[in-house]
Amino acid sequence: MAPSWSSHVMLISNPMVIEHCLSAMVRGGASIAWLAVATLALAGCWTAPVASVQPKDEPRLIQGAIAVELLTSVAIVRSVDAAARSVVLFTPGDPAAVTYRVGREVRNLGAIKVGDAVQAAIAEELAVYVLRDGRLPAPGGVPQVITTDARVLFVDSSYRLLRLQFPNGRTETFKVNRHVRLDQMAVGDDVVVQPVEIVALRVRK
Amino acid sequence: MIVKVCDRLAPSCPLTAIAIVALVVSLLPVTGWCQIAPDQANEIRAGIENRIEALTILGGDFGLAGGSFRSSSRLQPGLTTQVQSDISKGGGAGDVGDPRPLGDLDIGWQPRLQGNMGYLESTNRPLGVLAGDSSEVATYAIEFGGGARFWVSDRFSLAPTLMGLYGHTSNEYTARSSFMIANLTRATQLGLVDWSIDTWTLRPALDLQYVINWGRSIITLSSDPTYFHTEGFSSSNSNVRINGDSGSIANKIDADVPLYIEIYGHELRSGGYLSRTELFGDLRSGLGVQHMNEIHGRLVLDFLNQFWKVQWIGVGASYVWGTNITGWTAGADVAFRF
Repeated sequence: MAPSWSSHVMLISNPMVIEHCLSAMVRGGASIAWLAVATLALAGCWTAPVASVQPKDEPRLIQGAIAVELLTSVAIVRSVDAAARSVVLFTPGDPAAVTYRVGREVRNLGAIKVGDAVQAAIAEELAVYVLRDGRLPAPGGVPQVITTDARVLFVDSSYRLLRLQFPNGRTETFKVNRHVRLDQMAVGDDVVVQPVEIVALRVRK
Repeated sequence: MIVKVCDRLAPSCPLTAIAIVALVVSLLPVTGWCQIAPDQANEIRAGIENRIEALTILGGDFGLAGGSFRSSSRLQPGLTTQVQSDISKGGGAGDVGDPRPLGDLDIGWQPRLQGNMGYLESTNRPLGVLAGDSSEVATYAIEFGGGARFWVSDRFSLAPTLMGLYGHTSNEYTARSSFMIANLTRATQLGLVDWSIDTWTLRPALDLQYVINWGRSIITLSSDPTYFHTEGFSSSNSNVRINGDSGSIANKIDADVPLYIEIYGHELRSGGYLSRTELFGDLRSGLGVQHMNEIHGRLVLDFLNQFWKVQWIGVGASYVWGTNITGWTAGADVAFRF
């Protein structure tokens, strides 16, 4: 703490201001309280969030069917089936193309052609688990293997933000509704991402 | 310097000197009053300069509250001045992105940007021998700068910053008293009225912050010692010069509380802050204010991760009080998170 104050004081050239500032820092009750708080704060240390940590909680499904919406990066249309309301999109950088169901609210599906560059809003459902080595203990004794898609990187329960990190390093931050049990989720929890349908589709030039 | 003025104004020197002192005193929120003396000449001029410096900082700095302020000073028995100041500001400060590791240290850091634009109008209406006159000071100011926030723990951070502030301040004196009508030209020549000046200010500061998560509520304690060095240039009158130092320490407690009520998909949040700002140097003497307290309340809708980089949009209002000053402000309350 002391070096911080000192570095500030070094910038002050007017002795009278220095005197006033220092005396206020020393005498002011609030400032003394701040010094104490800051000293306590310095006892800890900052650590960058790492999604690969092993959660300490007991293995379980924390919550499933968490509705979120993902705005994809620009993808290329590989095929369109207007009658079946489905579309196959390939996102550069992904290993394979993915087939999506297209929701009734998407009214421009007839205008989408193969080769179009599009950006899609996809309704997804998340299931958040605490797993041990990818397994979820079952009541019968045989652990259930869960294939997960991402891990929790950051949780902001105040603003209801859940940030996931995918195996390729990509991160996505979702706004979840206030019934999601964010207070039980922690960095390192495993997440299964299940696409539901495309809810908006926009052609990009 | 006023002594030289008396030489020039020999025939009516005593009355003129008294009137000029009264005029100068009317421009200041608090100052002494006595017969003119050589050692007081510089003090009077410094008073004007301190006032310019203080108004530029008050009008242009993002850290000090904007709004409508009223202050009054009883300068001596029978001579009082009423000062009304209105300040419009737009600006703020923010940390960019998420904290990232600082080398191999257990310290996170993120860039910090700060900026502000402000306009201040301050009207003094002196009583006594100058009753009926008015002196209006207008300040335009723009401020920009930045630094970095360093997280030494998950809760405690400190942000050294450096900003530059450009200001343009002008005075317009309306003489209605018979005395000032007769002496306005001389007062203008002396740089006591109807002047303008540009200023630049260097603003190093250190923001200390401690964040407490209490359920879903966020409580932020902060302390912000700030230093200002101001110099003038492009003055309309060579007698008006600025070169001064000021300081402030703002201690604040802020609460950000979700209300579990949603409106059109956005959660309603409430909160506000209570702060106390100690003023030092020319800022204190120029405003005649030793400290200011501010209580602020807000009612906002959460837009974080839903609309560009907007954290919340809503309304807020503040009440400011302190030594020799009261004020209030109300308006849109918008926060961004980049």
